Amino acid sequence: MAGEWVKVGPEGEVAEGEMNSFGAGDRMVAIANIDGDLHAFDDVCTHQGCSLAEGELDDTTVECPCHGSQFDVTTGEVIGGPATESVDVFQLRVEGGEVQVLINEQ
Amino acid sequence: MTTFVIVGAGEGGGTAAGSLRDAGYDGDVVLIGEEPMPPYERPPLSKEYLRGESDHHLVRPPEWYDENNVDARFGVRAERVDTSAREVELGDGSRVAFDQLVIATGSRNRRLPLPGLELPGVHDLRFAPDADAIKSSAKNASKAVLVGMGFIGAEVAASLRQLGLDVTVVEFAGTPLERVLGPQLGGAIETLHRDHGVEMIFHDAAERFEGDGRFEALVTKEGRRIEGEMAVVGIGVQPVTEVAEKSDVPTDNGIRVDATLRTSVDGIWAIGDVARHEHPVFGSIRVEHFDNALKMGEHVAKNMLGANEVFDDAHWFWSDQYDTEIQMSGFATEWDETVIRGNVDERRFAAFLLKDGLLLSTFSMNWKHDVRRSMPLIVAGVRPDSAQLADPEVDLRNLKPPSD
Repeated sequence: MAGEWVKVGPEGEVAEGEMNSFGAGDRMVAIANIDGDLHAFDDVCTHQGCSLAEGELDDTTVECPCHGSQFDVTTGEVIGGPATESVDVFQLRVEGGEVQVLINEQ
Repeated sequence: MTTFVIVGAGEGGGTAAGSLRDAGYDGDVVLIGEEPMPPYERPPLSKEYLRGESDHHLVRPPEWYDENNVDARFGVRAERVDTSAREVELGDGSRVAFDQLVIATGSRNRRLPLPGLELPGVHDLRFAPDADAIKSSAKNASKAVLVGMGFIGAEVAASLRQLGLDVTVVEFAGTPLERVLGPQLGGAIETLHRDHGVEMIFHDAAERFEGDGRFEALVTKEGRRIEGEMAVVGIGVQPVTEVAEKSDVPTDNGIRVDATLRTSVDGIWAIGDVARHEHPVFGSIRVEHFDNALKMGEHVAKNMLGANEVFDDAHWFWSDQYDTEIQMSGFATEWDETVIRGNVDERRFAAFLLKDGLLLSTFSMNWKHDVRRSMPLIVAGVRPDSAQLADPEVDLRNLKPPSD
């Protein structure tokens, strides 16, 4: 599938064990830093649209702050809570000190 | 082949069926629910759905039940559990045999035996058609009278204000949610609603509903007459235990289950609003919230498949009112210390409720992250330092005792 590498922000913006959300084209992408590894996933919870980056990160599980849906940030799969659809995850690379994610064309 | 039967198709029952299949259980699953539609989420009924901003959120898509070979019987009432025959008797007289059974019959609204309760325009809210009826009444109303200001009353008050109606609430206690939150935090809810134009009358109660063919006024015990075109009564719920009452499954303010959600009858479990469970931290409690039904649904599926794990969830819920996100975790019926982090007047705070130094519960307005972060502390039975709790710079995640 064709995709485009989109800049989301400078490297080092997300502290270890934390998450932030960034605009990437017309999408909001959450970046989680797990033990120094960055993981990118759709910031919009599939349950009712809350920002997952405002939730809690426990190991590789992100928990939505609104209604408690849980996703694995490495696969996007639902782990628990009211959501039934997985969230998109994105390939990620660091180029010249800048974090980029691969957004597939729809 | 074994047959697992789930009686009650709300959030808990629907989640239990889903979790059994998610876990790979390939025996028979029968899901029996009195409502004609598949399991749906009730929280939006007083919020987004009531305001016409969202459709129903289903627990699983409608086609999921067929696709996953779940024998879904919606629109059918389970009448009785026959523990000796190990069968459930349904409203149409038929019987369903089970190897294991989950009772997830939920709760029903308390009803006052008051004159005029049956008048058109007098509502309560539990099921989707109740929300539809309130929406329909609200379209032709400019003023609503509410009886009771627990969470349902407060959420309906907010939604009706957002739809442009004038709202007057009559509440028996001295603040909204006083029994749950105490006067200080109940007072914060009162201020929130006053700031949004809700008129609240405390220390009074409904006496009768008046109207000529349709609701026109509420007369209170103190003799007030409050006019409106619609009324909504929200005075709490009670567990639906009838299905167990004619059996040897023990009931006492709910169906009694142990810490693993098991009743004293082998292979029979109870979850959600109806389950009075033995919680390792809070003792014997019954919890009437969405997340509890969901978590117990997930948990009972694991235990039915042999996990035998204690349900020690910290309990958690949310309530959105206007632009204010309210969340609460833990369980406290009495506490001797309230520590505030943030600012109550600005409605940006967490309130930690402690008893003898033990953190029991966290309540928040627009400060939800610390509700989540306090949950492991509550379950671990931590006695945090008050000054640290009050200091927003202290990360609650660092207060947890090191796990072994």
